Amino acid sequence: MSTLRIKGGRVVDPKNGIDALADVFIQDGKIAHVGSDSKEKADKTIDAKGLVVTPGLIDMHVHFREPGREDRETIETGSMAALAGGVTSVVTMPNTNPTADNQTVIEFILKRARDLDLIHIYPSGSITKAQDGAMLAEINELKNSGAVAITDDGSDIQNEGVLKRAMEYAKTVGMLLMSHCETKELTEGGSMHEGWISTKLGLPGIPASSEDLAVYKNILLAEETGARVHLQHNSTLGAIREIRASRARGATNITAEVSVQHFALTDEECVGYNTNAKMYPPLRSQEHIDAVIKGIEDDTIDCLTTDHAPHIEPDKIKPFETAAFGFVGLETSFAVMHTYLVKPGHIAFSKGIEKMTIAPAKIVGLDKGHLSVGADADIAIFDTEKEWTVDEKKFFSKGKNSPFVGKKLTGKAIYSIVGGKVRFAEGEIVRA
Amino acid sequence: MNAADLALRKKPLSEAEEDLVGYRNGRDLSFFDLVSIEQVTLEDIELIYDVARRFRDYRTYKFSFNKGYSQVNAFFEPSTRTSSSFDLAAKQLSMDTVGVGGNSSVSKGESYLDTIETIDAYNVKTIVIRSKESGVPEMMARHTQAAILNAGDGWHEHPTQALLDCLTMLDHFSAEGGSLPEQQAGASGGGVSLKGKTVTVVGDIMHSRVFGSLVRLLKPLGADVRIAAPLTMIPKEVEKFGVTWHGVVEEALTGADVVYALRVQSERGANGFIPSLREYSKMFGISRKRLDLAKKEAILMHPGPVIRDIDVHSALAAVDQQSHILQQVENGMAVRKALLWLMADRVDGRQKDFKRK
Repeated sequence: MSTLRIKGGRVVDPKNGIDALADVFIQDGKIAHVGSDSKEKADKTIDAKGLVVTPGLIDMHVHFREPGREDRETIETGSMAALAGGVTSVVTMPNTNPTADNQTVIEFILKRARDLDLIHIYPSGSITKAQDGAMLAEINELKNSGAVAITDDGSDIQNEGVLKRAMEYAKTVGMLLMSHCETKELTEGGSMHEGWISTKLGLPGIPASSEDLAVYKNILLAEETGARVHLQHNSTLGAIREIRASRARGATNITAEVSVQHFALTDEECVGYNTNAKMYPPLRSQEHIDAVIKGIEDDTIDCLTTDHAPHIEPDKIKPFETAAFGFVGLETSFAVMHTYLVKPGHIAFSKGIEKMTIAPAKIVGLDKGHLSVGADADIAIFDTEKEWTVDEKKFFSKGKNSPFVGKKLTGKAIYSIVGGKVRFAEGEIVRA
Repeated sequence: MNAADLALRKKPLSEAEEDLVGYRNGRDLSFFDLVSIEQVTLEDIELIYDVARRFRDYRTYKFSFNKGYSQVNAFFEPSTRTSSSFDLAAKQLSMDTVGVGGNSSVSKGESYLDTIETIDAYNVKTIVIRSKESGVPEMMARHTQAAILNAGDGWHEHPTQALLDCLTMLDHFSAEGGSLPEQQAGASGGGVSLKGKTVTVVGDIMHSRVFGSLVRLLKPLGADVRIAAPLTMIPKEVEKFGVTWHGVVEEALTGADVVYALRVQSERGANGFIPSLREYSKMFGISRKRLDLAKKEAILMHPGPVIRDIDVHSALAAVDQQSHILQQVENGMAVRKALLWLMADRVDGRQKDFKRK
């Protein structure tokens, strides 16, 4: 029987409506007690005075690249990056090589996660075989092997007939379908948000309408089929508007996320041909950022993610047009949320934590993201006052591609605890 | 060739160089690389034009200013006039030049950066870069000791083209004003302003690096800029450059001082930007009748290569007295020579800041 006490911190547990100074007592990997100091003796005590204790963050949109591109990231380095950001559970995307369109790949990822024993990894499978957008993958097999959702993230299904059948089938199986929302005919060749900055830089643009149209299409089909559909990384004014309209019509089967960079940074980051600011969806202009923040404020947006997408340097030192899309975010996501949403007063701290813990847990169907008695003791402890400058050399991730490099952020994970075991402490990964 | 020309050609080298040094008058450029017109100040423009006009007077005279310096012309995209112009300009300053590109290591998969850093390790003084993608010269400039000159990057910029174009316009208007005979226009040095002049640019604005640089130079010089093309060839929020768009070319041309036609590439038809070159030519091609809508003294310009009878009707392209297309080419040599001298041979001895990757 092992015990751990987290003493004297400000405990923020949105699910249970807790935001108060309290101790958290952990026994055998479960939450045993939250409240004023208990008398039980603990094997180990963490002094959390001046720190904030929250459920471990859940990021339902990450790319860990293994199997296939272990030069970019592995399940191990991705897990370490997560821990350094206070993230204790992730949903991995299926665009590995081979694609996670079969039970073998899902089982491989789960086994790696078990062997590493660092964080909880919940793999998603692909909707279509090899993400070809045409033939459905064996979705029931994926579910049985442990996949928590299906998505063709990174490519997106262009054929509406296939998408509709995928939703019907997913509903049959009881699987969450997640959509990347991109209309290829409108994004073809594009490398950044279409607007004044792309015109100045002479770069082919990605119009906001390419996302709006795909979001609208997904909403209509979700409303028609009744499938559980989650809209990934929304970044446009139009996307927020359409989700809000769907809610107003009474739809309850559609959820939506925003990746933290899409309320923090504008397309101006691309000036100087900064390929670390190249991603899909692209960083948008201010009017879109304003709309995204409004969407978070009024809960049109359910949860926050990173779309953590590591790349090797040779894929990023290319010309902007041919450089890879994507950036690494796990080690900065809490700080970005805190710096760009909470500090300017857009949302309360507990709401930000809600959208990074209990909200994604509910969407994916995990009994996680809260500190109820008996729950798994997945906990993050943050110093919300700490100012730091993002330095890619200190990343645990193999990817160094972040548009936040050199920027000053406020808030940093000090401890990450997974199943009652301290796995990250004061800048270091702690192994079993 | 007139008597004045002959006298210049026969001048001894030391006298000729002293002459140029006099025009330069101890001045340096504010920039170390030329990747965008946005780096160029009005003082820079005056300096470049003072020197370029004098170089132009000397035509192909071989100077020794850059002797012992080397230049690499890295053209990763086909080019005839820009590459030969840069090459001749360097040679007339006594530089050793070599061309890379085409079937280069980049086409074999080496990164631009590795290729350019290799070239830079030859300790060349200038590297001229033309790339299919936007931003390559700017990205490279941060990592080379050599001065980078952008010879056209993607849809972004082609700064030397804009500099030669504005020189052509300024010289035309000062000659037209009658205050200075054309031969001595260069001697005045002063007045780089296009205030009150209207420049109408017709053609594929979206895919044009020539437009990208031209508009960034014309606006600070005070010109009014109109653009005419189908909206499929107009980039988003282009009005933020301070230009006005016209869908009817006749409106854009009426009363213009300069008619600047851009090439429309044949593949744009296939990609659905226009239904056909035929329809484009009928709607936007510069014909005699359309050119007559501009001011009587207006000039016709084109960066080349001209697609005859598509962007400009054949009869106008080279023979018409309003056409300044060949003056543009001549000014291109002079402007590039001026830049190469000013960038390679700084009076103040200051060094460029750079960081090898």
